[in-house]
Amino acid sequence: MAELVIGIDLGTTNSVVATVQGGTPTVIPNRSGYRITPSVVAMARNGKRLVGALARRQAVTNAERTVVAVKRLMGRRWSSKPLQDALARMPYSIVQGPHDDVRIALGEAQYSPPEISAMVLTELRLDAEAFLGQPVSKAVITCPAYFNDAQRNATKDAGRIAGLEVIRIINEPTSAALAYGFGRAQSEKQLAVFDLGGGTFDFTVLHMFKGVFEVEATGGDSLLGGEDFDARIIDWLADPFLAKNGIDLRKDKMALQRLRDAAEKAKCELSVVNSVEMNLPFISASQKSGPLHLQTQLTRDLLESMTKDLVDRCMKVCERVLGEAKVRPNELGDVLLVGGQTRMPRIQAAVKALFGREPAKNVNPDEAVALGAAIQGSMLLHEGTEMLLLDVTPHSLGIAIAGGFFQSIIPKNTTVPTSAHHVFTTVKDDQPSAKITVLQGESELSADNELLGEFMLTGLRAAPRGGVDIDVVFDISADGIVSVSAIDVQTGVRQSITVTASSGLTEDEISRAAQANEEWMLGQKEDPNFQDRKTRAEELFKEFEALWPKLTRAAQNGLGQEPLARAQAALSVARLQVAQKESDALASSIDRLERMLGALRGAIERGLGSR
Amino acid sequence: MGAAPHATGGIIQLPPDMQAELRALEARGARVSHYELLSVGADADSASIRRAYLEKSKRLHPDAWFGKELGEYRQLLSKWFQKLATAYQTLSDEESRAAYDEAHRTKLSANDQAAVQRRELSRAEEERRERERRERLLRSKGFARIGAARKLYEDAVVLAADGARVQAIAALKTARELDPNRKEIAQKLLEVEREQSRARAKSALFAAGEKEEAGEFPQAVAAYATAFQLERSAAAALGASRCALANKDLQAASSWASRAVETDPSDPTARMTLARCFVQMNMKARARGELSQLLGKHPDHKEAKALLRGL
Repeated sequence: MAELVIGIDLGTTNSVVATVQGGTPTVIPNRSGYRITPSVVAMARNGKRLVGALARRQAVTNAERTVVAVKRLMGRRWSSKPLQDALARMPYSIVQGPHDDVRIALGEAQYSPPEISAMVLTELRLDAEAFLGQPVSKAVITCPAYFNDAQRNATKDAGRIAGLEVIRIINEPTSAALAYGFGRAQSEKQLAVFDLGGGTFDFTVLHMFKGVFEVEATGGDSLLGGEDFDARIIDWLADPFLAKNGIDLRKDKMALQRLRDAAEKAKCELSVVNSVEMNLPFISASQKSGPLHLQTQLTRDLLESMTKDLVDRCMKVCERVLGEAKVRPNELGDVLLVGGQTRMPRIQAAVKALFGREPAKNVNPDEAVALGAAIQGSMLLHEGTEMLLLDVTPHSLGIAIAGGFFQSIIPKNTTVPTSAHHVFTTVKDDQPSAKITVLQGESELSADNELLGEFMLTGLRAAPRGGVDIDVVFDISADGIVSVSAIDVQTGVRQSITVTASSGLTEDEISRAAQANEEWMLGQKEDPNFQDRKTRAEELFKEFEALWPKLTRAAQNGLGQEPLARAQAALSVARLQVAQKESDALASSIDRLERMLGALRGAIERGLGSR
Repeated sequence: MGAAPHATGGIIQLPPDMQAELRALEARGARVSHYELLSVGADADSASIRRAYLEKSKRLHPDAWFGKELGEYRQLLSKWFQKLATAYQTLSDEESRAAYDEAHRTKLSANDQAAVQRRELSRAEEERRERERRERLLRSKGFARIGAARKLYEDAVVLAADGARVQAIAALKTARELDPNRKEIAQKLLEVEREQSRARAKSALFAAGEKEEAGEFPQAVAAYATAFQLERSAAAALGASRCALANKDLQAASSWASRAVETDPSDPTARMTLARCFVQMNMKARARGELSQLLGKHPDHKEAKALLRGL
């Protein structure tokens, strides 16, 4: 039997899980029957972990203990600007972690972003297991094409914590293209994927031919998504309210959560209708005038004018990437729209204007990414799929050189896997070690690029300066994940490399978190002994039933009604325990019933209760 | 993370024909030409080169054998896939392909040499026909001139996207003559010309790098000099200096290094190389001068500090 693998679109606002069943990619509905699971995690007041729609529903009353949009924090350094910008908008409390990373405080405990994401992944995994009726351990998870190495590794860590072997991290737009190309891959075509999700924007140009998907260029903006459109509406509501009443609703966590929900709802409705009523009664209260309400009307035109710059930013990225791929907009075979925000009519119109064609209608913008991930999983694990994905690295990889400059070693849009090498020379006599700073980005200044890690070349052999050449090899795997190795050129000896700076969780922290998650899952699942106990209890029910006629006779012959009444009570308690799966309580009921059965049989044998 | 574990004496799950193919490639190493690797003739057009690349990837990309026990072949697959990608990239740009053909003319098989020649001839023929067409268009009168210019402009954009910059430039020049007022024609021309000189310099640099790696230093110096002529870049001058130094030609090395400094006075590596040349030529005062200039701009430059202390 083919090995099971699931594809997961781990989104900023929503997540979707899919698999390939009998050669057909299928979305797996969650245990409540929905095809989309909100990427929301909450700790209820009673300490219970809530994930998905349940967590989302209680967000207004429990805003401080509800985590939304954790994807924006994945793989970010505490000290980075994007993170500090994101902090202001998050209703829950975020603190600095031990490795210049981020922790989320939920009640007494603190969680890293991968741990929170792992809770969403665990939920999806349980949904998939319930749907497929067997355990699932392998997954392909998607991430925005523009994610850097740290963000990809954080996503991979989240998978490991959720007990999933992440066989591949693939880019969301590429994944959507796979879903589009599945079944029609034989034709030759050039495609563009416009992916505007909840938190990120990606634009990718691909070429497909005989089942091979070649990514030609990719680009995007990791801080531009549907939530920025919501934020514009929130500001539009909150600014006049602040001016009029002197109260900033964005500072009140519960009010902010209500504004957020209302903004998202209004935005979605405005994709269909031209104007919506926004009504938020009792949004706040003031000493003077008592309760305050917010009631207003938002039109599509107004929404479009206040988000015009966001749409323009998307279009700029498209033009740049088309230039890099050397494609003219009207040469493309098809344009795919992915991500919920692409439902906005203004965006569809802008795409149509740029490419001179209607976007393809036959992909579901919410489901295509997860379906593509499932297809990629099946392509990798199962033979005879005759499909292959050639993806590229979205950022240039290089090193810091003297003077604070950045030297690119692997340029962006290079097909992965790829590798490149660079020779380092010692600058001092008998230099024992050398530090290499690896960066990702497009700036000439190393400080403006993303730090991947610092590596120490240690145990260099003693030689005059310039006498030791170390060839350092940088590898980018097919997942876009970077590894570094080094060889002494003159002696051919492999040099040891130690990572001295990197963000995110340590190996130790990951395995501890995975352990904790495993234990939580066991608590969720039924006791493995339960089935055996249920079988034994049902046997006992039958034995009692078979014995009952004799018992009623014995009761009349002097045994009395009391032992029968007691047996009947014990039996109904046990039946209830079977129905409610109370495994431990059922075990003691079984003991009691066995003892009773023995005693009653004994009494019958001794002569039908003739004392 | 990264690489999967290597074979632990298990059975290799790679089909025998793939194993044989990889071993054969490995045995011939650098003698496998880009055309052979892609299994196309040297006269193939860019669309068939791309198709060949995608088809071949289905066998050579490590993902095609995901999760299989590959042993030593894992390394080979990755290496030859990367070579395949390089071959595709080099041959899908008209400029770098011409440079490759030029540099490897003698190393190609007799068949491929003939194919390269055929292709050059047919290109010359095509160019001649295009030239005649342009001359005809140039004789258009009145409004027809505007239409002809637009048609040429559109052709040029397609040609440029295909990497056929020489033709694109010719078409744009004609278009500009037909319709001197259209700004986008002049703009595109400027853009393509700039791209062309960059591409030429890049392939010259690449060729020089190949020679440097092969240890043919005198040839490498000459190749870097060509690259420098095409586009004055510190990288080319530095390369020449490096190779001259390896060739023990201190005079040439120092003159190339000073050219690198002239080209990009802010490039710390250029000054550093020049300083090293002066040290080797025993011109300590000038070396000190260069180093202090360098440290003036980059006070944290460790190599420069170390070298200065040594003096």
